[in-house]
This record gives sequence, C-alpha cells and structure tokens, in this order.
Amino acid sequence: MTKASCSVDTWMSFSQNKAVRVGVLILRMALGAIFVYAAYTKLAESWRLFAAGIASYEVLPMWAVEILARTLPWFELAVGLLLIVGRWLRLSTLATSGLLLVFFGLMVRAYIKGMTIDCGCFGPGETISWKTLLRDGSMLAGSLLVTVVAFVNHPKPAETA
Amino acid sequence: MIRLPAAALVVLLSCLAATGDSGKGKALGNPAAPLLIEMYSDFQCPHCKHMHEAILPGIIKDYVATGKAYLVCREFPLPSFGPRSREAAAYATAAARIGKFQEVAHALFVNQSSWAMTGQIWETVAAVLTVAEQAKVQALMKDPAIPAEVQHDVDTGLKIPVKSTPTLVVTYRLKQHPWDYWNDEGKLFRGYLDELLTK
Repeated sequence: MTKASCSVDTWMSFSQNKAVRVGVLILRMALGAIFVYAAYTKLAESWRLFAAGIASYEVLPMWAVEILARTLPWFELAVGLLLIVGRWLRLSTLATSGLLLVFFGLMVRAYIKGMTIDCGCFGPGETISWKTLLRDGSMLAGSLLVTVVAFVNHPKPAETA
Repeated sequence: MIRLPAAALVVLLSCLAATGDSGKGKALGNPAAPLLIEMYSDFQCPHCKHMHEAILPGIIKDYVATGKAYLVCREFPLPSFGPRSREAAAYATAAARIGKFQEVAHALFVNQSSWAMTGQIWETVAAVLTVAEQAKVQALMKDPAIPAEVQHDVDTGLKIPVKSTPTLVVTYRLKQHPWDYWNDEGKLFRGYLDELLTK
C-alpha cells in the first residue's frame, strides 16, 4: 500500500466518524450563515461603498472593481445558501475555500504593507488587524476541512465489472 | 414677484456663508441640506492638499452650492506629521472664530510645503488677515478652548472611525459612512452621493 492511498484511507475513516460528521455539518452551516450575513451587509448598502473597500486594496483596475462590487455579494449569497442547504457540496465548499483563500491572502498582503484599510468583509468600518486575520484564517481552515470532507465523502460511481 | 428671486438670492448667499453651531465657522452650505459631509483633514497631509485643490471645489460646486450637502471641516492632525499639524489646526480653528477659516485653510494648503519645512505657520496665516484680525487670532490662540476644539474633532473622528486623511464622513438619514478612497479623484464618491440623493 502506498503512502498516498494510506492517507486517503485515513481521511475516509476520519470523515465517516459520527462526531466528525456532526462537527463538519455544524461548521458548514456556520460558514453558510456567515457568507449569507456577509452578502446581506454589502447588499443592504450602496455597491459603491463596497467598491471603495475593494479599490483600497489597490490590486484591481477600476472597471474590475466595479464589476466585482456589483456581483461578489450575490455570489457570496448563493454560496452561503448552497452550504446551508447542502446542495452541490463539492462545488460550494470549493468556491468557499477559494474565496476565503483569496480574501485571506489579500488581507495578509495589506497587513504586511501596513495599509490602514477596511477589511470589507462585513460592510464598511472594520479595519484590517490581527483580529480580522485570525477570524478569516480560522474560517479558511474550517472551510478547507469541510471541502476535504465533501470530496472524500462524495459517493464514487459504481465500478464496472 | 420681483422680491421673490431677490429674497431667494439673499437666502442662498447667507446659506453659502452659514456658520452654524456645528463646525463653529468651518461650515459651508445649507444646514438643512439632506447630506451632511464632514471633512477630516490635516494641513500637512499632501493628499489633503490635493483634496482641497482638485477634488473639493467640484464637490462644493455640485453638492454644497446647490443645497444638496452641508459641508463641515474638521481637524484631524495626524501624530505622524509632528506638532506643526496641530498648531496649524489651532490657527485655522482660531480663524474660524472670526469668520476667516476658508481663507486661512486655503493659505495653509497652498503654502503647505513651505511652512511645513520652515515652521513659519503664523507668517502664512497672517498673510491673509488684516492687522486687526491678526490681533484677534493671536488672542484666541491663548484661549484653551481652541486646542480643546481641535482635540474634540480628533476624538470624534477616532470614534467614527477616521483612519486616514482626508476622510469625508457622509451622514444621511442618521447613518454615517466614512469615505477615504480618492485614487479615482472622487468619481466613486460623487456616484455614492448621487445614489443617496435619489433614494
């Protein structure tokens, strides 16, 4: 048995443990609720406030900032709802981890550069700090776990004889 | 019929020079305007100079002079610029007490690089005041209420929170939003104001 297959087996037995399944379910629901709330805080205000938040990271041209500010909250809402209802789990958990990876990476970059800007996570008014990094880092770790479990537990197509 | 436009003009002009309690001589526009814009700036900050010279005139023309917004200038001397920022803020606040804030603020921004280097803040301020006004401002500078007012602006700004200068805090229907993104020369900000006004 190779080391890789042994590792997959370990994940299989880990992800099928009842306590782990319940824990991952709670984690998934919490992430879904957080994404829905994050979307709500942005959609409740002018998209331009969110655009200013994105622009202050200084990584995208203005046309891209405008498109992102208008669409990202809806994408967050969709992903959050999918996580809560448990549909298309591989896709929704992968999207969640991808988003959180990008958000976390941009926040770390801004923090290292000493930029005193809004995080933009839950609407305007929250400056990037070690606390926001810790929170988003924890969410990313949780999301990666949920993603791995979603892929490992996904039923494989029946092998043909 | 002839009196009505004349009366309207008088009201407009008085509004343009309005100096209500909020801002004590640092305000511009109609206090009853739907939008309140509070500008937190530092006289040594180069971005604030750019705001004063390139972005603010357009905002005043399109939103303040038209009665859509009431503009109040607030002091936010940043510690990173040293004591000269606070001294300049104190002079501007003293000048506001005699109705000369706009003139003094303009002089401080236009000559920013000069007085920031030499420390000749008073010389810059005095150049736009008459001898009698100079005496009044010098007397006011001894009043502890002046630095207290500057500190009050700083404390209020920190609570919002204002994180950098220039920040324009927009209040609409009792909701406050600080805006500090100006790399697009205020295009996004103006769109935001228009959006609020059409709500």
